[in-house]
Amino acid sequence: MTMKSVTKVVLLGLLSLLWGCTNNMKVTGTFPKPLIASLPQPVGIIYDNDFRNYVYTETSDDRGKWIIDAGAAQVDLFNTVIPELFDYVEELTAIPSADTPANVKLVLYPKIIDFQYSVPRETKFTIYEVWLKYNLSVYDAQGAMVADWILTAYGKTPTAFMQTDEDAMNAAIMVALRDLGANLSIGTRRVPEIRAWLERNTPNDPSLKAVQPIQSTDVKAPTVMSPKSAQKTPAPNGSIPIHTAQHQE
Amino acid sequence: MTLLIRTPQTQPQHGTLSPLLILSALLVLLQGCTSITIDEYHAREHQSITAGEHVVVLGRRHSNDYETEPELIECIGDILDDDNEVITVIPEKQFVDALYPWFEPRTAPMRVKDMGRLLTREDVAETIRSYHIRYIIWVDGNTETTSSSGSIGCSIGAGGAGCFGFGTWDKESDYEAAIWDYQHLENIGQISADASGTSYMPAVVVPIPLIARVQRNTCEAMGLQLRSFLNPTEKAL
Repeated sequence: MTMKSVTKVVLLGLLSLLWGCTNNMKVTGTFPKPLIASLPQPVGIIYDNDFRNYVYTETSDDRGKWIIDAGAAQVDLFNTVIPELFDYVEELTAIPSADTPANVKLVLYPKIIDFQYSVPRETKFTIYEVWLKYNLSVYDAQGAMVADWILTAYGKTPTAFMQTDEDAMNAAIMVALRDLGANLSIGTRRVPEIRAWLERNTPNDPSLKAVQPIQSTDVKAPTVMSPKSAQKTPAPNGSIPIHTAQHQE
Repeated sequence: MTLLIRTPQTQPQHGTLSPLLILSALLVLLQGCTSITIDEYHAREHQSITAGEHVVVLGRRHSNDYETEPELIECIGDILDDDNEVITVIPEKQFVDALYPWFEPRTAPMRVKDMGRLLTREDVAETIRSYHIRYIIWVDGNTETTSSSGSIGCSIGAGGAGCFGFGTWDKESDYEAAIWDYQHLENIGQISADASGTSYMPAVVVPIPLIARVQRNTCEAMGLQLRSFLNPTEKAL
């Protein structure tokens, strides 16, 4: 073995050691289907690339290095919950517009806007914690905004013997995503703007009478607008149906 | 009528005693004990469970600074379920997943009357009925390290490696189990467990951990107490 090869091996070894100091993980797990009545409305959902490929990278020098790939897990959660919440769901590629309306009644456009975490060595508690914040924009078939809903979710998990940092963080994120799913499942009918839209468009749905609207500061006042991107983007052709559910009530 | 039974229990840790290593044997004999105190409160004088009725043990996860450990819930469930033909326990995850999102930390009923409200949803009531649930046991609490002291230093050299020193730490468990009768929608009793234990780690070349299994022993004590609570006839036998 030449000197050059030895240097390469040593460098690779050092690099792998440095990489070993980074908590690099992909969130994995499954979500149960929510036990809720579905709304008799066909909806579309848009997962943009930022959402689908979301990776959190810790940039602070004062904290441990974390690279968390949560994109697939959050798409999986929405694909589990939304088809139970609405009768028919299909995936769209862009927000519709008046010129290029969608074939569905509502369009959901989720975006993750904040991801925070804490680990035991920072808080001195024996729990890993995760906070998530999402913005769920809801549009009608012509691209007019119906609601702009801020959803928050929280998850934690205790430390356990022989559990790695990555496993614990994965468990905390899964709990947070389940919490997000609970909020979506129960809260959607309660958002005043969505509820008002549903009452106008589904006046005889008994599931709307069963819940009271929330007066939450999480819900931003809706603004009737069509984003510029919607005016430029053609209507989604060849959209992908995700699931069809029967209305239960 | 209320009954309060206080049952102090001390459960020594069991270790492996090697006849060849006298030092190890002495250390095992010196192994820390776990001291457990169980309090039992009956809100109803008589309760029982019959074959075919099921129990689910659930952990409370709403507190900000701790979380009831899933492995403790599983352990209590195993003890309730084992070696008897009367009590059948539905695994926590199976139950919570089947009723998602109604038993999540954000949504789980905190009181029995909240349970009544939840059961107005026919889909929820039907799912719980399908499990033949008679009792729901909510366990709240955690085990934590309260203090630690000592130090152990390890070194490695041309002649070999070794550790020297002594470390010790205390653990405390504090749990409370609330037992809800699902058929009558009432809280029929509570069992609380307070436990503490000290672990030691002397190191003379090789570190020898003498662990007080505080959480495990608390689980066993609580599990057995819950068994006799739900099925008093088993205790008589």
